[in-house]
Amino acid sequence: MLCLFKNVKWVVVLGLFVSSLLTINRAYADVAIVVHPSNNSNFDKSTIKRIFLGKAKSFSNGRAAILLSTSPKDPITEEFNKKVIGKSSNQVNAYWSKMIFTGKGTPPQEMASTSEIITAISANPDAIGYVDASAATGDVKVVATF
Amino acid sequence: MKIFILIITSILLFSAAPAKADIKFSGFGSIIAGKTLGSVEDPFNPGQKRDEILTADFYDVGQYTNDLTFKAESIFALQAVADIGNELSVTAQLVAKGVDDFEPEFDWYYLTYQASDNLTLMAGRRNIPMYYFSEYSEVGYAYPWMRPPSNLYWWQITQFNGVHAMYSFDWGDYSNTVTAFYGNEYSRDNTEMGYYEVLFGGVDSTVVDEFWTDITGVNWNISGGNFDLRFVYFQHDLERTRRFIDTTSDVVFTSQQFYGFGGTVDLEPFTFLFDWNFVTRDDGLGTEFPTYLVSLVYTIDDYQPYIAYSKADHERTKLNVDDLEEHYIMSYGLRYNFLPNASFKVQYDRFVDQGHGPTGWAYHGDSDTISAGVDFIF
Repeated sequence: MLCLFKNVKWVVVLGLFVSSLLTINRAYADVAIVVHPSNNSNFDKSTIKRIFLGKAKSFSNGRAAILLSTSPKDPITEEFNKKVIGKSSNQVNAYWSKMIFTGKGTPPQEMASTSEIITAISANPDAIGYVDASAATGDVKVVATF
Repeated sequence: MKIFILIITSILLFSAAPAKADIKFSGFGSIIAGKTLGSVEDPFNPGQKRDEILTADFYDVGQYTNDLTFKAESIFALQAVADIGNELSVTAQLVAKGVDDFEPEFDWYYLTYQASDNLTLMAGRRNIPMYYFSEYSEVGYAYPWMRPPSNLYWWQITQFNGVHAMYSFDWGDYSNTVTAFYGNEYSRDNTEMGYYEVLFGGVDSTVVDEFWTDITGVNWNISGGNFDLRFVYFQHDLERTRRFIDTTSDVVFTSQQFYGFGGTVDLEPFTFLFDWNFVTRDDGLGTEFPTYLVSLVYTIDDYQPYIAYSKADHERTKLNVDDLEEHYIMSYGLRYNFLPNASFKVQYDRFVDQGHGPTGWAYHGDSDTISAGVDFIF
């Protein structure tokens, strides 16, 4: 196994190779926070942030929140982290890594696509997620846009 | 505990088959290479030179010398969380470290019971919540540096078997978690103590058993929009037995008290991290271990240059003796987040040994170390 690691160059090469792939075209879309149409809880920015960091576990209606996110590769995740959490995706991931590996929290459940998020939220009164504002449909309720 | 391991192993093995348990896998790791850059006078052989040595991991005695190595700090960990129903789950972490030739061990295995929205009970094997970064000190991705400063995270015991009660509550916009914990750790043939035995002229065959019992404490974590602070107090009894090859042994009993205050404060684009700890030992000598860390990180897009200063001291207040172990590390580094779940780090550490040479307390020796690597989560 160690023979793989004997040459430090590969770490550098790997780093440079991956970083060269990352010339991301950053899309500056609006982020919509979406819940089930029946959810009449209060949502201000600080509440939404605390819910998505697992610091507030319930909505103001008293029911436990079920958090959904899109794939970390989805540009809307970066937008959400920047605008709502106020951190880069890396900082948010670092936060969750400390919670996950000390057993103190569970990050939002990752869904494969925006349409899956909308389908899941329209079927679950306690779910909350974020989507590109242009993708929100009448099946869910938009409680805030950033 | 063997039965516990068996249960978890069975769950892991049969997870592919249809089972009632809902299992989530995740993991973390680091691949880090490093070396020291020069030589230093051998503290135990005055007049002779030896490689500079940096102990990057005291508990496992992971060290850097002039020979580039990947073994001192590289680590791979796989975590499985099995939801076994009725708010009960089992968590296991299988950890393979370079210092153990990558032989995997279950370092963490515990039950979690979500008693209510606010109360979580845990029982089993976990890290002692000793210092601010102790519980995730091996999750390189979770903090900016290559490692939490090793000259503070120097204890020969880092884990224990015990119970935890975690209670969460809000004060306005501040989130609080108070955790009470109790447990024991019986470390037979302790790696770090065995290392010192040889270093100070003993023989390899002397085995040191280090028992920390009645580890009892509480910590309080409070976080707001841009800060996270943690206070901790715990105490424990200590029984250290040196077993010699002729089957004789000597035993020392004492107890220790840990006090700590640490945290992070975000002042965009800067992050300030600090940890202050104070340990007292009831050994009649007034032994105290004051330690602290201050660090500043600057975030510019995916780049995070940082500096850190960590200082550790060992005093015997009743003897008015200050000439014992004492050292600081000044670290400079850069973290580059090249993927949302991976970062590249490079760090330079200047370790300055301020211990008392004539009495053997300057046993580390100064060192300059460069290390580089990748931390990842999945």
